[in-house]
Amino acid sequence: MIPAGLAIALIRETGPLTAGLLVAGRVGAGIGAEIGAMKVTEQIDALEAVAVDSFKFLAVTRILACIIAMPLLTAIIDFCGIFGGYVAESSISGMSANLYFHRAFSIVEFSDFIPATFKTAVFGLIIGTVASYLGFNTTQGTEGVGRTSTASVVLSSICIILINVVLVKLIFFVFPVRS
Amino acid sequence: MEAIKLEHVTKSFDDHKVLDDVTLDVPEGTAFCLLGRSGTGKSVTLKHIIGLLRPDSGKVLVGGKDVASLSGRELAEVRRSMGFLFQNSALFDSITVGENVAFPLRRHTDWSDSKIRDTARARLADVGLDEDYDKMPSELSGGMRKRAGLARAMALDPKILLVDEPSAGLDPITAREIDDLLVDLKKKGATIVVVTHNIPSARHIGDELAMLHDGRVVVRGTAEELDRSDDELVRAFMRSEGSG
Repeated sequence: MIPAGLAIALIRETGPLTAGLLVAGRVGAGIGAEIGAMKVTEQIDALEAVAVDSFKFLAVTRILACIIAMPLLTAIIDFCGIFGGYVAESSISGMSANLYFHRAFSIVEFSDFIPATFKTAVFGLIIGTVASYLGFNTTQGTEGVGRTSTASVVLSSICIILINVVLVKLIFFVFPVRS
Repeated sequence: MEAIKLEHVTKSFDDHKVLDDVTLDVPEGTAFCLLGRSGTGKSVTLKHIIGLLRPDSGKVLVGGKDVASLSGRELAEVRRSMGFLFQNSALFDSITVGENVAFPLRRHTDWSDSKIRDTARARLADVGLDEDYDKMPSELSGGMRKRAGLARAMALDPKILLVDEPSAGLDPITAREIDDLLVDLKKKGATIVVVTHNIPSARHIGDELAMLHDGRVVVRGTAEELDRSDDELVRAFMRSEGSG
């Protein structure tokens, strides 16, 4: 049952949450710092001065990118996790790939994969929005940029964990657990 | 007709009043120099004109439109008619100098890539930077960044050019060339507002000068009129040869 347990845990919960927290740490910090640095060096004012909507140009594009990328990254993490499980299992017990993947996907259905993976689009929305908002409101020079970067990671991680609870409840309500 | 008009503009940041009942007008096709010590609200005045800041009270009219009341497309349309050189240049640091100048053209024209690149190169040539098209802003000196910022401000052939300390950080010869460029633009019909500490530059460029002190316009007139001002501060300022 280990392959099946690993697969269901990864696909339903561990994969999406890990992807969310990883992206919050890597991308959230990057977006916050980049937009924050543009704010304190007046580059955002310069965008506005050349009649470009800085929110659309800098924030909306990044938020959309996060929304689109998150489910894809989650699918990759799910695959890597399950494949890593196979490598570990086969090196210890010599289990064949055929048997491992047969067992891994024996209890996994599309209703496990689809909602859990696509809920990460909401994580992407949170990461992009929080980091952009904090970036646009950066003050106090380079010190402020550092604070924005840290705050983006902390705040988006907390928001992801909290919203995940709500989304899990919602998913279980829409797709009840099979008895 | 006035290209720019400020009517009783007041602006405070927290408890600090930066602009206090400022009233100014800049006729079309003239160059107007705004003088004053550091921190007297000169750059804040420019940012009000382009709508980056909104007054606490009063009106900022550009081409008869109240910039503070505009938003979205209307504000973008007014801004397209203006160019702005920031005090610290504010070049986009993730793209090349040439692409900085090309940026407004890419956003607001449907020109071909080669025409945009040629125009950007021509603007850079106007400020003596045509060899630096492919350099990153971090590779330029402060004065070169300033000139690149000016080239970007001129990219769309704006009717109004707002220039914040154009000669700061420039050697005297380059500063003079930039001044001559601004005078040429004025002759072509552009309205120019220059914030500067450089009195010789202001004398050369400005049809009219005004001095801000403690957020208020203390004097306004031609350079000769300011030389004869009753205010000792104004006369002392006009006698200075500040280069920044």
